[in-house]
Amino acid sequence: MSAQLEISNLNKRFGGLVAVNDVSFTLRPGEVVGLLGPNGSGKTTVMNMISGALPSDGGQVRVGGVDITRMKPHRVAKHGVARTFQLVRPLPTLSVAENVLLSLAFGRKRHWGREARDLAEEKLAFVGLAGRGEEQVGNLTYIDQKRLEMARALASEPELLLLDEWLAGLNPSELRIGIDLVQHLQGQGMTVLLVEHIMEAVRALCSRCIVMSAGEVIAEGESGEVLQRPAVIKAYLGDDHA
Amino acid sequence: MLEHVINGLVLGGTYALVAMGLTIQYGIARIMNLSFGDTIIAACFATYVLFSSFAISPVLALLILVPAGYAFSLVIYRVIMRPLVARAPDEGALEVDSILVTFGLLFVIQGVLLIFFGGGYTSYSFLNTPVNVLGTVVAGNRLLAVVLSLLIGLSLIVILYRTRWGMILRAVALSPQNAPLFGIDTDRAARTAFAIGGAMAATVGVVVSMFQTFTATAGVVFTMKALIVVILGGKGSVLGAVVAGLLLGLVETFVAAYIDPGLTLAAVYGVFLLLLLVRPNGIFGKA
Amino acid sequence: MKVQTAFALAAAVLVVLALAPLFIPDYWTGVLLGMTGYVTLATAWALFSGPTRYVSLATVAFFGVGAYTVAVLNEAMPYPMVLLCAAGIGMALALVVGLSTLRLAGVYFVIFTFGLAELVRQVVSWWEVNVTYTMGRYVFLPFEGRHIYWQLLALAAVTLLISWAIGRSRLGLALKAVGDDETVAAHAGVDVTRIKLLLFVISATIITLVGAIQAPRWTYIEPSIVFNPTVSFMTLIMALLGGAMRLWGPLVGAVPLFLLFEWLSVSFPDHFSIILGLLFILIVFVMPNGVLAKLEDLRKGGRA
Repeated sequence: MSAQLEISNLNKRFGGLVAVNDVSFTLRPGEVVGLLGPNGSGKTTVMNMISGALPSDGGQVRVGGVDITRMKPHRVAKHGVARTFQLVRPLPTLSVAENVLLSLAFGRKRHWGREARDLAEEKLAFVGLAGRGEEQVGNLTYIDQKRLEMARALASEPELLLLDEWLAGLNPSELRIGIDLVQHLQGQGMTVLLVEHIMEAVRALCSRCIVMSAGEVIAEGESGEVLQRPAVIKAYLGDDHA
Repeated sequence: MLEHVINGLVLGGTYALVAMGLTIQYGIARIMNLSFGDTIIAACFATYVLFSSFAISPVLALLILVPAGYAFSLVIYRVIMRPLVARAPDEGALEVDSILVTFGLLFVIQGVLLIFFGGGYTSYSFLNTPVNVLGTVVAGNRLLAVVLSLLIGLSLIVILYRTRWGMILRAVALSPQNAPLFGIDTDRAARTAFAIGGAMAATVGVVVSMFQTFTATAGVVFTMKALIVVILGGKGSVLGAVVAGLLLGLVETFVAAYIDPGLTLAAVYGVFLLLLLVRPNGIFGKA
Repeated sequence: MKVQTAFALAAAVLVVLALAPLFIPDYWTGVLLGMTGYVTLATAWALFSGPTRYVSLATVAFFGVGAYTVAVLNEAMPYPMVLLCAAGIGMALALVVGLSTLRLAGVYFVIFTFGLAELVRQVVSWWEVNVTYTMGRYVFLPFEGRHIYWQLLALAAVTLLISWAIGRSRLGLALKAVGDDETVAAHAGVDVTRIKLLLFVISATIITLVGAIQAPRWTYIEPSIVFNPTVSFMTLIMALLGGAMRLWGPLVGAVPLFLLFEWLSVSFPDHFSIILGLLFILIVFVMPNGVLAKLEDLRKGGRA
């Protein structure tokens, strides 16, 4: 068993529109891989099918060798897949610490009580929110909400982390912090699938890239090389630049 | 047999009208109005008073009560609903708030009706002459009810799908966030939609009172059935409301005729449950 | 306040309340009884509807089922068995309602519960008329007001205890998360449907028991008496006034409102539902999160 995530022949249609067409790729344990493509190319749909938010119309998703294709989102989470959302979604009636506690209590293990509170503080410290557990999420700045989103995902103790444009909307100095955080995770051996538009981040983080366009994988390979390919440039910028 | 079909269609036609009114309020103004049925019952009683005390025919009463229903709902929207719309952070919060407030309104309207008319069954006799339709005898008032329902329902559909105003309302129903970008005044659209719903309620009240007995507390059942028709038809779908309304009317009439009149609500619930299991987004709802 | 102190205090209040009927006139025992009933109803309602924000309008459906079960079975088996049966029937009904609507969006649930009481009332009436040929039943149980009151007091204490325990548990956290954002909760590993179903069933079972315990008060029971929609309405308004998201919220709302309703129903019997309706609209406008939250806001505002 060498693949952490193995996607084979995944399909999804919305009415007459083919959103994802026969997509296959694999992630090895500890790899950070970028999933790129212009808007509407099907990246988020693939993410949603991996995390169980959307049922697929065909194909298979295997995580750590186990078929999770038909699992509901909460089962997928317990199986070691965590995600962040494209637009941050902190839970407003919960405190910062409680947002993290939720994933600790219902993630892969069932942490609760003193131990869970310590772990929550640990996760918050890791993303740079040390000592801010009692705050209301409504008072957090945008980057801090992004940090919380990451802490909540990490708190379910995943083997595979799905980051859906987690770095979008940050200013240059915040972006640096964000990239450092993901690199830190990489150092700990986390497998990450990164949907991202910011090329600087992709170059810094991803050894490998998968590029989608109109629901299909059009390129796959080492980041620097893939981003130079005419087909990829064409997909992003149109014919004139190819 | 044919008699039941016709009676079912009469009943179904009124359900379709109720549901159209409700779905316009819910789809465009985003307000789930639990007091809708009580507005209908209020119109029933108003028709009764106009007919028995002032000798005004129910058909003429429409000319008075439909604008009155429109005005009443407009005032309700301005006074009660708009502050809620303004303060709601998202659609879900507005839904909960509107459910709660209209639930309160239901008790207010019901209370007023109880004071004036008491809790007993009320009816009046209007156009109760038998008419022969395809060999089956139908009461004239029922026939008139069908004709009126058809006329009003059709004109609403024409307004919604063939006029500029209708297009504006449908645009708001489809995408409330984007409508202002096209210069649409969403507040005005919501207010108008809510008022049109009130006018529909008044219409239904007048029509129903011609052939059915009614009580001050019967509003809940009307709202209930209309809500089910809205869900069955698919939220915001006027055509769906018509088909689902007719279907429900037929089911109810047949259950009343062949099984037991006391089980009509149970039958309606049964259809609702069955469809929820098979098609959770309504007959015409999108997946 | 430490947990132990709070518990000691609550226990002391409970003892005082339990001893009260021995010293006060029967009329006031009756008032206490009714009040305890509504405290229990409002607390049980808020158990599910508070954090999840799934407004249940079906309180009286379960309340009525409980009362009517006692009316039907009170001569057929010993009293504890009757209560057990009532709880079982309430639980089964809640399971059916929950399983069919809680997988879907919240609005289906509201609509379903809106007509549920009327549906159950019609079905029970139909059954009695066509199958058992009885309309109206008598409850002969050797209970005085204070016996019923003691039972309700015990149920109220248990309900508050359950609410307290859930609030401190993983379950309570998950419920709040579900109320905020079901999708996020699911991706954090929460089995959203199961948790909603579980809490709805617990809440409905307690409500059924309140109806069952109060049944002997009527002596004569028929469907239109025990399926009175005002019960659903009063429960809702009490929980909202105090604040449905807090442990003591429903109690804080239920006590003053019950006294107010007692006075209103005696002084203005005809205008009761109008006043009730207007009051309710006012509460939604002024204190959408309840009086406890309002007080907290005021205190914070004063300090700032």
